[in-house]
Amino acid sequence: MNTKWSRILAVALALTLLVAFVPGCAKKTTDEGTGGGTEEPKTTVKAAMVTDVGGLGDKSFNDLSYEGLKRAEKELGVEIKVLESKEITDYESNIDQLANAGYSPIFAVGFLMTDTVAKLAPQYPDTQFGGVDEFFDPVPANVVGLTFKEHEGSYLAGVVAGLATKEKALSDKINDANVIGFVGGMDVPLIKKFEAGFIAGAKSVNPDVKVISLYAGNFTDQAKGKELGYSLIEQGADVIYAAAGAVGLGTIEACKEKGALFIGVDADQYLTVPGSGDVMLTSMMKRVDVAVFETIKAAVDGNFPGGTIKEFGLKEGGVDLAPFHDFENKVPQSIKDAVAKARQGIIDGTIQVPDKL
Amino acid sequence: MLGDIITPDLFASALRMATPLALAAIGGTICERSGVVNIALEGIMLTGAFAGAAITLATGNPWVGVLAAVLAGVAIAAIHAFASINLRADQVVSGTGLNILALGLTGFLMERLYGHPGTTDPVKMIRPLFSLPKPPEGFVGEVLRWVEGVFLSHTPIVYAAIVIAVVAQWAMYKTRWGLRLRALGEHPKAADTVGISVYRGRWAAVLMSGALAGLAGANLVIEQVGSFTENMTNGRGFIALAANIFGRWTPAGSYLASLLFGFADALQIKLQMFRGQIDIPPQFFLMLPYVLTVIVLAGVIGRAVGPAAVGQPYEKG
Repeated sequence: MNTKWSRILAVALALTLLVAFVPGCAKKTTDEGTGGGTEEPKTTVKAAMVTDVGGLGDKSFNDLSYEGLKRAEKELGVEIKVLESKEITDYESNIDQLANAGYSPIFAVGFLMTDTVAKLAPQYPDTQFGGVDEFFDPVPANVVGLTFKEHEGSYLAGVVAGLATKEKALSDKINDANVIGFVGGMDVPLIKKFEAGFIAGAKSVNPDVKVISLYAGNFTDQAKGKELGYSLIEQGADVIYAAAGAVGLGTIEACKEKGALFIGVDADQYLTVPGSGDVMLTSMMKRVDVAVFETIKAAVDGNFPGGTIKEFGLKEGGVDLAPFHDFENKVPQSIKDAVAKARQGIIDGTIQVPDKL
Repeated sequence: MLGDIITPDLFASALRMATPLALAAIGGTICERSGVVNIALEGIMLTGAFAGAAITLATGNPWVGVLAAVLAGVAIAAIHAFASINLRADQVVSGTGLNILALGLTGFLMERLYGHPGTTDPVKMIRPLFSLPKPPEGFVGEVLRWVEGVFLSHTPIVYAAIVIAVVAQWAMYKTRWGLRLRALGEHPKAADTVGISVYRGRWAAVLMSGALAGLAGANLVIEQVGSFTENMTNGRGFIALAANIFGRWTPAGSYLASLLFGFADALQIKLQMFRGQIDIPPQFFLMLPYVLTVIVLAGVIGRAVGPAAVGQPYEKG
């Protein structure tokens, strides 16, 4: 009796663990053909990417990188491949797999992969690596770090928010308090760049504006994001900018419920967050697709910028504001002019945007 | 400054954030009182949250979603019950396995159902129970604003959690079911000798904990945020376990402990507003609820002793 039961138990537990781990380890490979017509220019470059644990469908960096890859396939005729990481432990095996299959450049998406790229790059000296959102010091000769001047795009978001909070005609959600809000994911230097740029932009057009910044402590807890939104709105914030991943989705919900405008981040969130149109003023986009495409193009042309850190700012088209969408007709020309002026100033170098507080 | 911290939303926020913790914690209390440790609360909550989102998306009816969340919680709990009661498995191992299972399963199903991981589309939400007119100006208006903000601004499951805490407390100490439940956790052999079925009693308790943790998941998805994100429970199931111990294995205590954790979390958000003025890094505020947990569990409030037979499989005969 006892041995029979313990055998059943052992099998049941083994099965439970098996079922638990299988989806965790499964790597979905997305194979893409070399694409389309024969009239496309031919190249022998095979570009690939390894997603962060968010995977494809994150409506953010992974999807955007994939957009860049697909554009390269279409316009440059490169062969492309995507491997998704389900766990942090998948990074290394995914990169190994692609490097051994002859893919180069290989894009590793997300700063969590920085150490893996730094470790593996010397083992595959003939393979080119692109680290999206990754900073290396020193930079291996076959690696390019693709970083963004988030503070520049956030400055423009700040200009919009700083003016919008005084623009009653824009929306009935605008109040008299002259307060705007910032929601950050984790208090790390990368997120500080967003906050610093946002505050500088807002103060440049509205010196008296009060900017309240709250941090969630993670990038996934939507319920926390909503509570942060409630608190900001209770303090009078009527325009809120979030650089906090999924946490920001909760903040959008708070804006919808309690009446405040929202500025999205990374992607054009008007398009990626269904039902957010009536609060989504604009978004600060990180054009990861541009960075990935430009890097592949450089590789195809034979001048891959290995051993450097590329910073994509407003000038390079690496960050930008999304359209106002539903607010297009309500946003007064004065705000649009101020944004255009700030953009020009940053590109000219007459405006220096701080990247830390 | 104090007026910016002590606001109606501070207390309302505490209640909201306490609700998923409290439901799971009361579930944990009932389960442990019967002698079964349930560290799978986190995974059950996550599964409930996912089922709630998926069924609400499919049917368009959030109440059906709540029901689905509860049933999904019961289903996962049934695995735990079978493993730990019938198979006499180590309850901690079974619970850990289920937590990992829930994380993998919800991610896997998301990909299967929606073609992508991450976050689902928005679901239809259950809105606050009362919608009151804007209070007038002046002192009366201020009082009304507080009453409304703190007590009347909530969604149904927030109130349900309070009712559940009261009813469970009463049932555990004033009914025959409660007496038997406690007997199972203290001395199952004695209970068995007087004709109480240990297996049946424990099964019922484990399933109840599953239903409550599933309801906690429904609260998160259908009342609070309106979409499912992978691993969105963010350790709430484990905080709930702590709340159960802090509440000394009583439903009312579990609720109050959860309220304290919720309040600490709400307070840290409000305190963050003054980061610029008092030079304290936000990490300090963010860790407040967890520091509180550690202090509480380290026994500042006195030694907490659980049911004598908790964690021990019962072998008949």
